[in-house]
Amino acid sequence: MRNRSIISGEGAGARINVTPMIDVVMVLIVFYLLVGQLAIDRKASIDLPISAIGIDETQESDPIVVGITQSGSLTINGVDFDADRFVGEIEGMHARSPNTPIRIRAHRDAPFGHIRPVMHQLRDIGISGVELVTERGS
Amino acid sequence: MSEQQTRPTPLTPPTRRSRPLNRRNVLTRSSRFGPNMTPMVDVTLVILIFFMASASIAGHEWFLRAQLPEVQDPDLVSSGFSLPTPMLSAELFVRDGAVYVRGFGDAPRPIGAVIEQIRNMDDELAAGLILGIRAGDDVPYSAVVSLHDAAAFREMRVAIR
Repeated sequence: MRNRSIISGEGAGARINVTPMIDVVMVLIVFYLLVGQLAIDRKASIDLPISAIGIDETQESDPIVVGITQSGSLTINGVDFDADRFVGEIEGMHARSPNTPIRIRAHRDAPFGHIRPVMHQLRDIGISGVELVTERGS
Repeated sequence: MSEQQTRPTPLTPPTRRSRPLNRRNVLTRSSRFGPNMTPMVDVTLVILIFFMASASIAGHEWFLRAQLPEVQDPDLVSSGFSLPTPMLSAELFVRDGAVYVRGFGDAPRPIGAVIEQIRNMDDELAAGLILGIRAGDDVPYSAVVSLHDAAAFREMRVAIR
């Protein structure tokens, strides 16, 4: 009996049970994997303009992210849309949740001629303000 | 250890107790019981740190708020304008490859000078003002954001037309 009790752990009190730690670590890894994947979906590879001041993102807000590349291609939440379907899609999303903020992620070198029409379309469907995503800088 | 413990009699069937009960040996065997978790924990922690670092790098973004006034041309405003009339108006355009701003002073000025002017404005004077920004088609978006940034620094509201 003494032998059994030692093997079952009663006598090996100095050993650390790592199973709960691995459980927690695995959960954290899965969490970061999912968050990273969502972030990649939302944040297409766009070089953002730099600003010295800005408003930090809050966890509560789940904005509609409009991406504008240097060539003028449009995305909504990481999905490509041509100019014709863009307005209808944004209008539908805005109608479903009118309080959802619209966030514009535009390339820093994109000519404003690509961005102004988007802003005017947003304004025409009743959106009075947007959030311009920038990179933190000095 | 006695000789009786190490050599069981032939009539006695072999049991665990017949083997020498050395506490140190039992502990050693028990510590090797099951898979060795140490390498897995090492790798897992490295992956975890990598993802945490990646997430913090990806989070270096923030945003500036801009209003989208309903009427594009302030000169045509007589009624139905959703915002108060902007007290400052800046028109950006490109000349000889550089961005200039019309509206701050009599003559167009380079955008860098205008940004400095806005940043050096008196706090009380600037706070609450509305800066209306209009930009030509060929003006880079970063120039618009730079002006917006300077205005936000002085707590102005910005409307992009």
